[in-house]
Amino acid sequence: MRSFFTIWRRELTACFLSPVAYVTMVVFVLLANWTFLEAVERNAGGAASVASLYFVSVFFWLPVLVTVITMRLFAEERRSGTLETLMTAPVDDGAVVWGKYAGAWTFLLITLVPTAAGVPLLAVLSPGIRTVDAGSLAVGGLMLALLSAFWVSIGLLVSLLTKNQIVAAICCFCVLCLPFLFQYLGPLAPPGSGRVLDYLSIETHIVEAARGVLDTRPLVLYGSGTLFMLFTSVRVLESRRWR
Amino acid sequence: MIYVESLTKRFGRTTAVDNISFQVKEGEIVGLLGPNGAGKTTTMRILAGYLPATGGRVTIAGLDVFTKSLAVRQRIGYLPENCPLYGDMRVHEYLRYRGRLKGLHGRRLRARIDDVVGACELRESARTVIGRLSKGFQQRVGLADALLHEPDVLILDEPTIGLDPNQIRHIRGLIRSLASRHTVLLSSHILPEVEAVCERVLILHEGRIAASGTPGKLADLLQGHLTVMAEIRGERRAVEQALRGIPGVLEAICDPEGEWQRCTCRCEEGTDIREALFAAAAQNGWRLRELRGARANLEDVFAAMTGEAGEPGES
Repeated sequence: MRSFFTIWRRELTACFLSPVAYVTMVVFVLLANWTFLEAVERNAGGAASVASLYFVSVFFWLPVLVTVITMRLFAEERRSGTLETLMTAPVDDGAVVWGKYAGAWTFLLITLVPTAAGVPLLAVLSPGIRTVDAGSLAVGGLMLALLSAFWVSIGLLVSLLTKNQIVAAICCFCVLCLPFLFQYLGPLAPPGSGRVLDYLSIETHIVEAARGVLDTRPLVLYGSGTLFMLFTSVRVLESRRWR
Repeated sequence: MIYVESLTKRFGRTTAVDNISFQVKEGEIVGLLGPNGAGKTTTMRILAGYLPATGGRVTIAGLDVFTKSLAVRQRIGYLPENCPLYGDMRVHEYLRYRGRLKGLHGRRLRARIDDVVGACELRESARTVIGRLSKGFQQRVGLADALLHEPDVLILDEPTIGLDPNQIRHIRGLIRSLASRHTVLLSSHILPEVEAVCERVLILHEGRIAASGTPGKLADLLQGHLTVMAEIRGERRAVEQALRGIPGVLEAICDPEGEWQRCTCRCEEGTDIREALFAAAAQNGWRLRELRGARANLEDVFAAMTGEAGEPGES
């Protein structure tokens, strides 16, 4: 347990030791809030809720953020050889995977927090928006946090499978963008599968959550997905002992 | 302390380590010597628990490296080849992180960091970012890390590669001073290094142990053919003839240099002709300004074992 916290701390501080972290944070806040602003302007006078516009804008850029954060996790250590020093220290594989995962996820949540300032700021600046529903913001935030937990675990697994950061980044980005396809595949899919695709459509989850509806199905999906990805990652890391 | 029994490692079709066995006793400094690609790094990685073996058994302090991996890793300090470090951390941050990973905390961690920073002469660079340190200092950081948890066994893969002569001397001194408290296995492809530091040498070639023994004993293997060099002032043909007349000389060649002849005599095994050569020169009234016997050193053993022709060196 102690080595988990040690690795978690090292991962988190490593993010802030490199300028990449700051650039990522600033660029992400700018892109997400700019998208949000654009969405609000286009829907002026419409029926869309501010919260759902906000979460969809953040969600839109999330694959990029997750990719940038997770691509280096193992790929970089493999390339620089530090994986060898790490894995010959008396730590077990689970602590390494969970520690790295927790560090990356914490950094991602830290990056997301400043973007949240957009909603209250808009409420203060524009008299047209009287109240922002705190409940829907909380539920939407929870859903976004869980979704990112799942995606970070996917990114970690992809990073573990390759030595090259660019390869890791491209693969991870492609995998994360698959769900965007689901909502467009709906009408084309054979009858019966439409409902399944609908369950998997992440945008639906986000929009529902942004309305303040706490659906447990996506929570279970993301939770179990994360556990599965991390379980697989631990096995992949262990697999070098079988070969 | 280290017990290796018919260790084999194959990567696909290539066999990196082929059925090697050796033991290292407590407190010994043993060198693994071999050309690049001989299987040194692979062997060390298996010992350190980073790679699994294809076959054979490795135990360290009585614990199987494969099944008791964590307990073994607690007992070894491993310095990988090229000494990979996190370039973005400061030296003391890195050592604190590594110490925590190895289960040191609080006062004991601080005391250990203080010890290893002192031993590796890193005190002045403790606050420097690792990426800005020279290669030699980075190597010291790696060594400090390996020593941090007071391991019984140190496994050092090419500890002096890429260092300047002063740094090499320092690291060698450090390794020698460690022998009282640790068992050390180090690898190198540089012969004088192994000769200077190790009590026992294993020569690896193409994944097998080609020879093993103390540096002196390995050199003895080639000592049978002593080569004697002499510089004699005299007429070439007469000198050559006189030298060939000495019992035990297999071959004598003279190389004129002005009035002097630089003579090289290859002798039979176990004979030393230097006295006889002096007597022959004195008898003929020739002047002698140089006389020395060239003993084979580790380099020759190495060359002979690994199948490269080599001139006998001097020692």
